[in-house]
Amino acid sequence: MSNITQNQSSPLPRETGIFLVLIGVALVFEAAGWMIHGQSFVFNTQRLYIIVLQMAIIGIMAVGLTQIIVMAGIDLSGGSVVAFAGLVAASLAQASSAGEAVYPSLTDLPIIVPLLIGLAIGAALGFVNGSIIAITGIPPFIATLAILVIARGLARWYTSGKQVSFFTPEFAVFGSGATPVWIFLGVVIVFHVLMTRTLYGRRTYAIGSNERAARMAGVNVGRHKVLVYSIAGLLYGLAAVIQTSRAETAQSGTGLMWELDAISAVVIGGTSLMGGIGRIPGTVIGVLILGVLTSGFTFLGINVFYIAIVKGVIVVAAVVADQYRHRNKRGK
Amino acid sequence: MSKRLLPADASIFLILIGVALTFELLGWLVMGQSFIFNTRRLPIIVLQVAVIGIIAIGVTQVIITGGIDLSSGSVAALSGMVAASFAQAAGGSSMYFAGLADLPTIVPLVVGIAVGCAAGWVNGAITAYTGVPPFIPTLGMMVSARGLAVLYNNGNPVIGLTDGFTALGAGATPIVIFAVVALLFHIVLTRTLYGRRTYAVGSNAEAARTSGINVKAHKVLVYTIAGGLAGLAGVVMTARATMAQPGMGLMYELDAISAAVIGGTSLFGGRGRVSGTVIGVLILGVITSGFTFLRIDFYYQEVAKGLIILAAVIADRYRQGVKFGMR
Repeated sequence: MSNITQNQSSPLPRETGIFLVLIGVALVFEAAGWMIHGQSFVFNTQRLYIIVLQMAIIGIMAVGLTQIIVMAGIDLSGGSVVAFAGLVAASLAQASSAGEAVYPSLTDLPIIVPLLIGLAIGAALGFVNGSIIAITGIPPFIATLAILVIARGLARWYTSGKQVSFFTPEFAVFGSGATPVWIFLGVVIVFHVLMTRTLYGRRTYAIGSNERAARMAGVNVGRHKVLVYSIAGLLYGLAAVIQTSRAETAQSGTGLMWELDAISAVVIGGTSLMGGIGRIPGTVIGVLILGVLTSGFTFLGINVFYIAIVKGVIVVAAVVADQYRHRNKRGK
Repeated sequence: MSKRLLPADASIFLILIGVALTFELLGWLVMGQSFIFNTRRLPIIVLQVAVIGIIAIGVTQVIITGGIDLSSGSVAALSGMVAASFAQAAGGSSMYFAGLADLPTIVPLVVGIAVGCAAGWVNGAITAYTGVPPFIPTLGMMVSARGLAVLYNNGNPVIGLTDGFTALGAGATPIVIFAVVALLFHIVLTRTLYGRRTYAVGSNAEAARTSGINVKAHKVLVYTIAGGLAGLAGVVMTARATMAQPGMGLMYELDAISAAVIGGTSLFGGRGRVSGTVIGVLILGVITSGFTFLRIDFYYQEVAKGLIILAAVIADRYRQGVKFGMR
């Protein structure tokens, strides 16, 4: 519990450091933009809009993942869960005018049906993740790696690899305009409050700081783990519905490696993989840094494959930096 | 342990027999033909498992030290791409290095292994010297190496390889290479200082350090060797396909980890044998081949693979749990 109050004597909010990193990264691209392209990188409302819109979906996943990592867990299954939940939601969002509907008798359903189904599939897979981890005690990265493979397999199996499209016009509401950004903001506020002001949040930090102490203090650790993984899964399901609605199609390859983007965002945002430390506002800034980097590389015309390499390096660098932060803390 | 009448791998060998017999039975019931006694199927199973097997022997050593390596498949792809660019025959339409045609086979072989070693060294150095959980740097390497493999020839395959190079993957050669690698590392792990140190680091790193082992340097060595074996697997894969593609070896790390864990290597470190991993690879090969034989959809195979690794790790957890309980 000490981790929550530990730094509150500091006059600046804890996210100041990474916020400065965000400003710095944006300024670097701004300078490069003027030098190479002779135009501004930042002061381009269309680009800013695209960055935020692109990152809203990863951001929603990252909010769920933050809670898992605060609890000293990890979840590698996010991208695959998005693919499967998106496909199932899509199959229940088709219009009767669709040529080959997955369920010809289940078309033109109210949009609440695909939304709830998407959320339910995500939560169910999260529940499986959490249950395996809580009951068997195997390392979370292996359990969720297995679910990564299984969920991707389920996504391919569900429509035999075919994509699903032709949705009801109403279904577009989740992904149209700035809606994804508003949903992301809503999710951020809800979970920031949950993590900082409620028993749920205190228990999550307690398990991540010292699982044994949390158990001694009467926290039902196993049940809380299942709850947190399920909530993260629910958020993956939400991300899946938004992605499907925005792309106007769902396919089994969606979300490949998104879990890595989400993990990067969380770790860049100051959440420690050792557990017990991390805040939702940090994750939001982490997501924005990642978005600016991706957008900046595209802006400078750098090959998309380099972006994959840089992302791999960033996640490792962020984790290594976190490791040293903690070493110093322990040293004091 | 030493007082057992049966070798340590007897029980998983029985599982292998059991799995094979199940498919044999299903073969007669469903397909009306034998699964095992098919002179064409057996070599295909063994060939498929040879590449995974070479990777799995490296992964086994990493897991024995209490580590993990998620990058093997990508590293194999990158190594294969780079090796292939040194193995092109003269007169090809798309030469990677225009001046370097018809090099002796040893050059691409060494280059491929060296690329793998370099990737493994990076994995090991980050893991050992920063103390981050090993799945993170190797996950980063998985993405980065795949990106490099794609970038290496702008997403194109490398083709037109020399006959000498493709011979490394022709016929039963991959099996021979796998057998030699398995035998070599079985001896190295059971009879040498390297092996004793590997087990010591995985059983109790603190005790190993106190008894004078340079734990960090040893971890770097083990990850480097695992990377080198992934590189060798990439060379064999490339030679077998007679070309290198940036997408090859996708998710092979998962098969390799499954094989090691099925074979009795514990993810908690300190426990595992190359002979067990060989049987683990064969079990995976029989299951994959059996599914194809029964014409079970590819999609189910993927789901089954996920379930198998989950089951193997959970079984290991309870094995270790019971052992801890008795102490």
